[in-house]
Amino acid sequence: MTKVLLIEDDSETAEEITAELVDRGFEVEWSASGIDGLDKARSSQPDAMIVDRLLPGMDGLTVIEALRKDQVRTPVLVLSALGAVDDRVRGLRMGGDDYLTKPFALVELVARIEALLRRPVESRETTLRVGSLELDLIERTARRGERAIDLLPREFRLLEYMMQRSDQLLTRAMLLEEVWNYKFVPATNLVDVHMGRLRHKVDGPGESPMIHNVRGAGFILRTGP
Amino acid sequence: MDQTRIIRSNTFRWALAVAGVFAVFVIVLFGFIYWQADQYLIARSDKMIASQLNAVSGLPNERRLDWINEHLEQDSRGVQYAGLFGADGRKIAGNLERFPPELTMNDSVQSVSVERTLPAGRETHAIRAIARHMPNGDALVIGREVDETREISHVVAQALALGLLPALCLCLLAGAWLSMRAQKRVEEVNQRVQRIIAGDLRERLPHRDIDEPFSKLTVIVNGMLDEMETMIHALAGVGNDIAHDLRTPLTRARLALERGRTNATTLHQLETVVDKAIANIDQSLAIITALLRLAEIENSRRSAAFGTVLLHEMLQEVCDIYEPIAENKSIELRVEARHRLSVLGDRDLLFEAVANLVDNAIKFTPEGGRVDIELTRGDNETIVRVSDTGCGISEQEREAVLRRFYRSDKIRNTPGVGLGLNLVAAIVKLHGFRLAIHPGPGGRMEITCPDR
Repeated sequence: MTKVLLIEDDSETAEEITAELVDRGFEVEWSASGIDGLDKARSSQPDAMIVDRLLPGMDGLTVIEALRKDQVRTPVLVLSALGAVDDRVRGLRMGGDDYLTKPFALVELVARIEALLRRPVESRETTLRVGSLELDLIERTARRGERAIDLLPREFRLLEYMMQRSDQLLTRAMLLEEVWNYKFVPATNLVDVHMGRLRHKVDGPGESPMIHNVRGAGFILRTGP
Repeated sequence: MDQTRIIRSNTFRWALAVAGVFAVFVIVLFGFIYWQADQYLIARSDKMIASQLNAVSGLPNERRLDWINEHLEQDSRGVQYAGLFGADGRKIAGNLERFPPELTMNDSVQSVSVERTLPAGRETHAIRAIARHMPNGDALVIGREVDETREISHVVAQALALGLLPALCLCLLAGAWLSMRAQKRVEEVNQRVQRIIAGDLRERLPHRDIDEPFSKLTVIVNGMLDEMETMIHALAGVGNDIAHDLRTPLTRARLALERGRTNATTLHQLETVVDKAIANIDQSLAIITALLRLAEIENSRRSAAFGTVLLHEMLQEVCDIYEPIAENKSIELRVEARHRLSVLGDRDLLFEAVANLVDNAIKFTPEGGRVDIELTRGDNETIVRVSDTGCGISEQEREAVLRRFYRSDKIRNTPGVGLGLNLVAAIVKLHGFRLAIHPGPGGRMEITCPDR
């Protein structure tokens, strides 16, 4: 079972997060302070960590820095009520960890934890395959079965990102950040429009849909229904 | 006010220092005058006795004795000296008992001390004297006591006492007065500032209408206080707007939940209610996020992280992202960037600004319209222009659109937070660029980036 360590001082928030993660099949260990959390992170070796930025005793980022110094590479999702993204957070993101601003939706949190746990494998494959869908990264062509799909560059980039993370829920915020490099939330629902166009091309008439819209959450690319 | 504070005050110390320097200067000046006068008098007296010696030397021996006696008799002040001594040193005539031993007979006037016989007894005097051998072998001495020097030194000392002491006292008094006045004004300012700190924003510093530095300073500070008062009132207004805009969705959420709790009979009904509540709460959160972001941009300084932003590429990217949205509304979105232009700035923020303008343009342009993004050069400036065929912004609304939460009545029902243009304005200001909103028909917004 996948073990997640949650370091969060607000017990009510912690309870909700724990309940949601347990429902999703995770094993959750909870710690309410930075120092205790650091001890638990060292002793119980979790697969992923959720760390609140403002903690009593020791600030969340300091906990992570202490762990990194000990060569502990556990992926971390930092929660923060601070909206401003500063240099420390930028460093965090470059290290492969993630950052989520409070308040957040639980689906968003779970999606990001899953994304952290299932980082795309660095493969030397030049062709991505999901079911009958094929993406040639060299030729920059796509096909579904025998049908060639004509993609614009921006659509190609989106599909590539989704195929690397098939069967995984991708929230709108994740797509904005990763695919379009958006650092802010746009007024218009950009993601839906782009996704609608891509879906129109990927899921032809008579074919079983591969791009699924998860209501209120985001999108999943998968072969099954 | 207690005395130690006056004495310790800076103004008073300065006054004291000035008084000291003044005193030294006056003493040196008086000393110089005394010295000069002394020198002059001595030189004059020297010349006189030298000429007398010449005159007497030219006389026959018997006449010489008469001249000496006559000369000494006429001297009412008792400053003249004369003596005729034989070759063996014996006194022949005059009021000198013996030949002054330090006096050399080289025809030059010298300072010597001599003894003089008076009815009261003998007195030693310091005089100027000159001596010469007469043709018959006698030695003639003529001297004079320059007593005017003493008088002058007396006068000078008196002048010093009469002039310097009152001047010094005046200096100290002026110093104390200035110091007291300055302290009084500072005290007054301090009291007013305390009142301002306590929250009385209408309080101002005392100000006299005269041309002096302190008054100028109070005028400047008062101007600053005026500006701050306006800003604080504006802020309070913004606070009210925020409260209003946050309350609306929260009220809706609360009402939905309340009604749902009493009226929902099936799970589906409850879900509908909860979804509605979540949507409204998300709207409130979006407002808070936008406000925080606005504050973040407004408070950040021009950062060292500024780099070269290739505008033509950036605009193409904005167009790329918004093209499908425009297409969905049958709006033609085009970029016209003939030159490869770049500016110094934060790429992410500039992207956000242009994206906001394009987003707005698409939102407010009716179906079948057009949105153009242009990159052109002006007079030493680079211009990014976003124009559309929508309703545009009227002359009256131009200022209002930059106010927080302003939403034109025409577009009341278009979704949005109402902070988009504020963000653009803040980003543009941070870069030192200009945002121009041109009146309709059609919307036309320009970001002007002056060359560095």
